[in-house]
Amino acid sequence: MLPKSYVVFKWTVYALASLLLFALQSLLLSHIRVMGVTPFLYPILPAAAAMYEGSRRGPLFALALGVVCDLLLPGPFQGFFAISFTLIALFSAMMAENFIEPGFLCALIVSAGGLLLTGGLRMLVQILTGGEYLGLMGRIALQETLLTLPAAVVVFPLYRVIHRRCAVDY
Amino acid sequence: MKRPANKFGIMVLAAAAVIAVLLSVMSYFSVSAAVLPNLAGIIASPFRSASAAISGYVSGWTEYLTEFDALKEENGQLKMKIAEMEESVRQAEADRDENVRLRELAGLREQRRDLHFESARILVQDASNWSSMLTVNKGTAHDVEVGDCVVTEAGCLVGVVTKAGSNWSTVRTVLDSETSIGALVFRSGATAVAQGDFALMSEGRLALNYLGTEPDVVSGDLVVTSGLAGYYPSQLVIGYVEEIRASDNGLAQYAVLRPEAELAGLTQVFIVTSFDITD
Repeated sequence: MLPKSYVVFKWTVYALASLLLFALQSLLLSHIRVMGVTPFLYPILPAAAAMYEGSRRGPLFALALGVVCDLLLPGPFQGFFAISFTLIALFSAMMAENFIEPGFLCALIVSAGGLLLTGGLRMLVQILTGGEYLGLMGRIALQETLLTLPAAVVVFPLYRVIHRRCAVDY
Repeated sequence: MKRPANKFGIMVLAAAAVIAVLLSVMSYFSVSAAVLPNLAGIIASPFRSASAAISGYVSGWTEYLTEFDALKEENGQLKMKIAEMEESVRQAEADRDENVRLRELAGLREQRRDLHFESARILVQDASNWSSMLTVNKGTAHDVEVGDCVVTEAGCLVGVVTKAGSNWSTVRTVLDSETSIGALVFRSGATAVAQGDFALMSEGRLALNYLGTEPDVVSGDLVVTSGLAGYYPSQLVIGYVEEIRASDNGLAQYAVLRPEAELAGLTQVFIVTSFDITD
């Protein structure tokens, strides 16, 4: 059983790192536009956390992150990010624990999966509300995924450092 | 090998669903922003302000370094435009005097246009590719309400307030696919509805729908808010008609509008907190 203070410290560091990545999105990535599409970093965060922290702590962190995003960002419905981020974390943890060793390839797959899952859920909402342009939405989801994937090289090493340092030094 | 979907994972997912329902219920029953989003907005405000300041500083320097020649050319064009507008103003003054005399003669009430503005700074331009929203630094504490129009310093429509917290508001821009505003073609007086369109949003354009069977709209027409029903003020500039297209089923036509407000480089806007227009 881990000491309570250790748990608080570790997740505080994770929260601060996430804040840094939020700043990266708003200060840099949101100003990049390629063929009308902007990178969207947030779905990679729960994927990375769950890859390192596993299927118990990962989804909880993803849920908390999702609630914060729901309160601050516009989404197709209230709670969209809470649900989609939890699903991403479950998918990511499942992949890392059962199918692929956590590493570069796993990071790439869970990031792409997370981004496509978010785009897919948006499309699902559109279908349910009688929306049009599903082909266009699919193209945007794919473009968004391809454009955001390079940014995963910032997220995964940062979270890996926290995962390793907090496990060894504290 | 662990089971792919364990019981704990399903419990967390259920918790996410419950939170989603709670947030939706809170949002549905509150006129302005619900308690939690309001609190989150207040806490995030300093960070958003800092982020907007840094972003503005960096983009200011980038513009200074990269757009000097373009600005110089634009300056020359603007000087010519000012000269033309000064001529128009002189003509308009004479027309106004004549209008006052004729109204007095005909016993008509004076037209009045009284808009109250609250200036606001843009804190966040929505990062997603799926909607077009802004967050500004004024809220209910500054008499901002849901449904208030947001314009540029030139009176061009930027969008409409959709959520209002204490010191922040979310604005849905004219490009967002959920935007729908009563519009008027200035030249012909034809009424229509300016609507955001998902396919046009990435091009920075919106659609002018419900033009009728024989639309009196041509490329270059100015489109303004109609103000019908008194929900939004009239005569706010939405944009110019770029082209007329046939709808997918070929039964109707719609116009593609280029919004007059340049949303990309916008840092300051004005919220119309109240208006009183007598036509």
